[in-house]
Amino acid sequence: MTLAAARSTKAGAAPPAAGGRLRVEGIAKSFLGPTGGAIAAIDAVSLDVAPGEFLAIVGPSGCGKSTLLQVIAGLMPPSGGTVRLGDRDVTGEPAHMVYLFQQYSRSLLPWMTVADNVMFAFRHRIKLRRAAAVARCRDYLAMVGLADVADHYPWQLSGGMQQRVAIARALAAEPQVLLMDEPFSSVDALTRLDLHSLILELWTQKRFTAVLVTHDVDEAIFLADRVAVLTQRPATVTEVIETRLPRPRQSIETRESAAFLALRHRLLSYLLSRGGDTPHA
Amino acid sequence: MRNLGAKAFAIGAGGIVPIGLLLCLEVAARSKLVDPTFLPPPSAILATVWGIIVSGKFAAPLAQTILFLFTGYGIGCAAAIALGILMGYSRVIYNLFEPLTELLRPLPKAALLPVLILFLGLGAKMEITIVALGCFFPVLINTLQGVRAVEPTMINTARTFGHGTFAIWRRILVPASAPYILAGMRISLGLGLILVVTAEMIAGTGGLGDAILSAQRTFLVKESYAWLVVLAVLGLLLTALFSWLERKIAFWNAPSVG
Repeated sequence: MTLAAARSTKAGAAPPAAGGRLRVEGIAKSFLGPTGGAIAAIDAVSLDVAPGEFLAIVGPSGCGKSTLLQVIAGLMPPSGGTVRLGDRDVTGEPAHMVYLFQQYSRSLLPWMTVADNVMFAFRHRIKLRRAAAVARCRDYLAMVGLADVADHYPWQLSGGMQQRVAIARALAAEPQVLLMDEPFSSVDALTRLDLHSLILELWTQKRFTAVLVTHDVDEAIFLADRVAVLTQRPATVTEVIETRLPRPRQSIETRESAAFLALRHRLLSYLLSRGGDTPHA
Repeated sequence: MRNLGAKAFAIGAGGIVPIGLLLCLEVAARSKLVDPTFLPPPSAILATVWGIIVSGKFAAPLAQTILFLFTGYGIGCAAAIALGILMGYSRVIYNLFEPLTELLRPLPKAALLPVLILFLGLGAKMEITIVALGCFFPVLINTLQGVRAVEPTMINTARTFGHGTFAIWRRILVPASAPYILAGMRISLGLGLILVVTAEMIAGTGGLGDAILSAQRTFLVKESYAWLVVLAVLGLLLTALFSWLERKIAFWNAPSVG
């Protein structure tokens, strides 16, 4: 049923010019615990994301951030609540939302070349001759600065390059909404700053709606228009803070600005005070 | 260059033991330390091998063994991959077949030969069946584990890009479990060779196993050894071929051991 739903919406390959609002209403998710009882992971989370907005969701690790994002992506059914994109209920994998995974090494398919991995994102939706499809892959790879590794295999690349490929692949599907699950947490610190600038550049260029889940407060502030704070399990949204930092954001200057540091102070105090009772790094 | 030298040395060192052993046997047989009737000198055996080859006598038994082995192997592997994928994918199918496979799996397949002969007689059907049965289980277990070991992230990747069930099977589940399936097939290939030769010995209807046993029974000891050499070379070639195939197909996987 979920697959049929995905099919019915994917007929028109190109997303509508103005993407719809993403409305998350009262999402709850509980899992079956080891003793048979239900364990609540998320409790009534509501979010409203405007088309083209960059929303970050921060929370302590293990609070259910990824679960929330997977529910939004239609990869996991919620126990309660609804997700709507534009005027459609999201059930199953919606055609215009793409999920960018934290573990690029598990998300990129090792038996496919980089170009084929990118092609995997659109080949079933956009019918192109092989040459045209390869050219399209190269375009997207060029966007992340990797046109020259199209014929390599993912495992021949560094971690940062692999995540770039994953980003190129996600964008090749031309999503209205890009859901990012801590995509920068498994690369080294410098590469991370690099990828931050890259994702902002691509976001400015393509104007997709971005929802980023992270435990890194600095990352959330640097990238997002608004930052939502999740509590410990069961996760709920306690605060939504507008960053109001000028764009384009500068790797060094923005992070050193007084406004940035004030936001950082505010967010960290929320997180440390609320999560303080559970010393869960 | 140093690497090359080290490699050459490694290969050379590996050759010392078999060559030394052959020399010892040669000396032992020629000096009558062992009875050359039962253990002829390797040089005489090699001459017999040469004889079998130039006379073309080797072709028919070898061809039959290869044919029965590959037929049984193909059937066994295909059935095991199909059932293994289903069992790995569906809990219901797993629960349905698991008790039966666990009952049959530890059974030495050669022990089934007498019963199979009752049903299928001596010859091709019985031999192919025993090979297929023997090859089935290692591939089944490996396929099952391979499908279960597929990263959920890979499946979710396919889902987030809107791929349907069929595409997930074809483009994720099958290739992702290929290294496991191949590891099972490697074990099965060895088992298959054992079983086809055993079955040929019992059936006596041609093939390398039959050739080895018939030669021994008619006191053509040198010929019996010569057929063993042919069998050993076949085993070696099959292993090499399979390793090559494994590297070709599951090239992204670290080379498997064993």
